[in-house]
Amino acid sequence: MHSDQKYWNPVLETLSQKKLKALQLKKFKRIFQWAYDRSKFHRKLYNQAGITPQDIQSFDDVRQVPIVDKSMMRDVQRKDPFPYGDNLCVSLEAVCEFRQTSGTTGQPIYQADTWQDWEWWAECWSYTLWAQGYRPHDRVFIPFGYNVFVAFWAGHYAAEKIGCEVVPGGVLDTQARILKMRELRATALMGTPTYILVMADTAKSKMNIDPSGLGILKITCAGEPGASIPGTKNRLESAWGAKVFDHAGATEIGAWSYECSAQPGGMHVNDAFFLVEIEDIDTGEIIETPERRGKMIITALDRYAQPCIRFDSKDIIEWDSKECACSRTFRLIKGGVLGRTDDITKVKGVLLSPIAIEQVVRGIEGLGDEFEVVVDKVGDIDRITLKIELLPGMEKRRSAIDQMLKDQLRLQTNLGYRLEYHEIGTLPRYNVKAKRFKDLREHS
Amino acid sequence: MEFDNNLNEISAKIQLLKKTAVELKKLGENFPALEKNIARILASLKMLELNISDIVDLSPDG
Repeated sequence: MHSDQKYWNPVLETLSQKKLKALQLKKFKRIFQWAYDRSKFHRKLYNQAGITPQDIQSFDDVRQVPIVDKSMMRDVQRKDPFPYGDNLCVSLEAVCEFRQTSGTTGQPIYQADTWQDWEWWAECWSYTLWAQGYRPHDRVFIPFGYNVFVAFWAGHYAAEKIGCEVVPGGVLDTQARILKMRELRATALMGTPTYILVMADTAKSKMNIDPSGLGILKITCAGEPGASIPGTKNRLESAWGAKVFDHAGATEIGAWSYECSAQPGGMHVNDAFFLVEIEDIDTGEIIETPERRGKMIITALDRYAQPCIRFDSKDIIEWDSKECACSRTFRLIKGGVLGRTDDITKVKGVLLSPIAIEQVVRGIEGLGDEFEVVVDKVGDIDRITLKIELLPGMEKRRSAIDQMLKDQLRLQTNLGYRLEYHEIGTLPRYNVKAKRFKDLREHS
Repeated sequence: MEFDNNLNEISAKIQLLKKTAVELKKLGENFPALEKNIARILASLKMLELNISDIVDLSPDG
């Protein structure tokens, strides 16, 4: 068993960037031709832009290819071939997996996959898990409600592919899941950062179990950016006594990036399977230089049933200037996914990203894991209320915590906040994706 | 990299497997247990192509 091999693919993960670029261009031409030949949606889009497959010869040509966004995908679905519409590139008979997006930002998108696409999903996740140290001796517990959302389905299949023993923690409640993990001595776990924190809190407060004593060695988080936010990552690692790794993927895209065991403060983009471009939000210029934020335009280079070609993911990312200690040549994005263009909102004329608030709250000792941000208006003036929970026994430190919060929030977000303390356990708890940011201004 | 010299040979063997699988698939018409299992084998072979064969014919300097 090659458990000492540190790369899932020792060739691709160490290929020079020059060769990776050549591979990306070759694959882009292939998927573009495929979609052009088989999907009315894509052919119409590209014909309207005056682009045919023969026109794609360089990355400059790639950048002329129209960007697809979610609204365009919503427009075509629920039509024939039902329910995917005419961006489907295979017959309905070839489709064997249905998934849909969570619908957080509107009508869910339906996603079709063939068995080959599903193998590809598991392959992408295999890069992730192997890089995070998953090996055949691991017993992986997956506390996820297996359903129409892709979430940890592919993580399950990839863990099996790697040779791990997988324990599906499907319909069990949180306490039953914790007991099952203890009973079976699970060594690894997958979940959203929000839910992994809820599990730790449940174990401690309701079961008198210290999660750090359960023997979990590594946790893969996805679905939210928390595992790349230092304050949240520290809380997760400290609660579980485990290494916590970030991973990013999406239903319409695939599993496109992962943090490796070197924990470089960001994630590797799987450059062999995806073409990631960063576009300046204001000018549309493609950003090649490190440490300049923009939105991600992504192509899944090997996904065939419902191709994802130059998709506007709305994720905000930036390239990292440093190389990773793991020696992978796959590029790093600094700090993981830094936010979403549709999450960033203007308050008092200042751009506010909820992730910045999470980093501050989770970085302060004495505060609980949960928080809520409410933006409303008093007269014509925006007001931000930050609701937090003070941990029991911290009452004497409240004024110091108060000051620290205000200072850090001002420093990180350039905004002032009204702080509202709540009893521990009284703010909403979330089992999947949290909704901690509420903008009530249109209702004020 | 230790595998670089073997890539052509590995890729050739993947293509051989694929050729055999495609031939088997043709023989499997009206034989679901053969046809459907071959379809899964072909999907796995595609993963081998993505992991290995796709880089074999990249030009050495880029």
